[in-house]
Amino acid sequence: MKIKILVMLSLLLGLIVVLSGCATGMTAASWSGTTVDANNAYIAGGPYVYAVNLQTGVQAWRFPDKASAANPFEATPTMTSDGQLIVGGYDKKLYSLNPQTGQSNWQFTDARDRWIGGALVTEKMIFAPNADYKLYALNMQGKLQWSFLADQAIWGTPVSDGTNVYFGTLGKKVYAVNAQTGKQAWVQNLDGAVLGTPVLGADNMLYVGSYGGTIYALNTANGSAQAIATTSSSGKDRWIWSGPALDGTTIYYGDGNGSLYAQPLSGTGQPWNQQLNGAITGTPLVTADNLVIGTEAGNLYFIDRTGENLRPISISGKVYSSPVAAGTLVLVSPTDGDAVLVALDQNGAVKWSFTPAK
Amino acid sequence: MWETIIVAPFTNALLMIYKLIGGNFGIAIILFTILIRVITHPLMVSQIKGSTKMQEMQSSKEWQEIQKKYKDDKQMLSQEQMKYYKSIGYNPLSSCLPSIIQIPLIFGLYQSIIRALAASPLQLLTLTRSVYPFFQVGDLVPLNSKFLWMNLGQPERIYLFGYAIPLLAIIVAITTYIQSKVTMPPSTNPRDQGAMMGKMMTLYMPLLLGYFALTFASGLSVYFIVGNLIGIAQYALLGKVNWRALIPGQKPAPALATRKK
Repeated sequence: MKIKILVMLSLLLGLIVVLSGCATGMTAASWSGTTVDANNAYIAGGPYVYAVNLQTGVQAWRFPDKASAANPFEATPTMTSDGQLIVGGYDKKLYSLNPQTGQSNWQFTDARDRWIGGALVTEKMIFAPNADYKLYALNMQGKLQWSFLADQAIWGTPVSDGTNVYFGTLGKKVYAVNAQTGKQAWVQNLDGAVLGTPVLGADNMLYVGSYGGTIYALNTANGSAQAIATTSSSGKDRWIWSGPALDGTTIYYGDGNGSLYAQPLSGTGQPWNQQLNGAITGTPLVTADNLVIGTEAGNLYFIDRTGENLRPISISGKVYSSPVAAGTLVLVSPTDGDAVLVALDQNGAVKWSFTPAK
Repeated sequence: MWETIIVAPFTNALLMIYKLIGGNFGIAIILFTILIRVITHPLMVSQIKGSTKMQEMQSSKEWQEIQKKYKDDKQMLSQEQMKYYKSIGYNPLSSCLPSIIQIPLIFGLYQSIIRALAASPLQLLTLTRSVYPFFQVGDLVPLNSKFLWMNLGQPERIYLFGYAIPLLAIIVAITTYIQSKVTMPPSTNPRDQGAMMGKMMTLYMPLLLGYFALTFASGLSVYFIVGNLIGIAQYALLGKVNWRALIPGQKPAPALATRKK
């Protein structure tokens, strides 16, 4: 009988440990977002937001003092013009931090779910998307101006042309909402969830990638949509995760099968695609000469904008997030790797890498 | 192995039910729980039989004599107990093995619920990889995680007068308590270790599962509540529910097995 009691108690203990492990494990390894200013890179990398000196790769500060593995930071931080760093966490709080010290200026706590997409910042407003289906518009002091309830969770950073704010939802919709009033201007249905950030073209078109594997061009005036490209991959890897990149005349995007595509928007230029190793979940970074994109297999690729001269560089970890430019450096924040942030030059040589102290 | 045998099939079964019933994940969890309980019903019957037999055995003269005779020699006591088990055809694992088998099912279900709801980019990516080829992933995403007032992928709270009340955790604790209480075989023997353990579990299990419901995704709480209610129904069908146990101050009734004779 004592054995039976011991067995039961051990099982209960095991249940606690395993379920706790599940709960922690499901959020511990997150998709890191990075932004930069003149001095530092700011990474939402798991349980902390780090500020890392761009010259030296040394940590300037980290936030918060006491981290929770169950509540990581994943949303890409955003700098405001008045010197605030805006970042949201899985703890449902949106923080304004002092980029010099990492001290909190204010917190916005009205949201009911995680902050997965980064905030869009204009001169006087902060537009922050939450997984609770709402887009929150705050002033620079963190006071709510309005909120807009969409049909589903919003994971991508919105974009704005000054009149409207545009964003996609997991519910396969793209919304245009008046930036001043929060009233819906239009909504458009697509063939799949919109997980990433749309991009605005100079032609007043909004370019969006869908989980259904289609790139759409939407007219910002009325929301009318046209499918302008699809992935050539088949099966369950044909999705497009992030929004496309735009260099003025061509859009670039990747799919779940590891194909990188270039699609000219006008009659000039040739479309091309390159097969890379590993799923592409980030938006390609367009530099003066190159495209830079990472893959889940742990490679970072530099490639000419003509689709030629592919140069793979092996990175420890999985590269889910989009590479970021910082002057002449390219920054990449791998998941499950040795380092939280790796800085490379335009030739792909590693200049420094940042691994947080344990 | 765990992924292939438990988590992926559970996830796909949940998604299949979700698709068939028109996109309600809460109902899908309820139906899946019923399915699991129906499949594991023979184990439950075996557990009840094992517990009943153990009670009968502990009330027997032979058993009590063995306890008295070898109370100072643990090794001999253990050997004699085993001999006695054999002589009456009792397997000591028969009453706890079914509980052991339930544990991986709970783990698997929890992981499947979390995976299917895909509340973060990494979870969505994992879900994409684990769905079987006959599903169109693009059509499935996003799953409707709203059920009644809950987001099934998040711990549940109901907001009343500005306070966050964990209503589901309270219901989980209450139904677990009721299930433990009404399905615990009554015992008149004050030295009955099984009854002592049962009383201990009646106290600890509601607290433990209530804590899980408070902390983890509310989809798991739905599983616990439905599982508790079905558990009571299963015992009721077998004539093993003791409703009198819920009345405070009620003296233990004669053992059910004895009453049935």
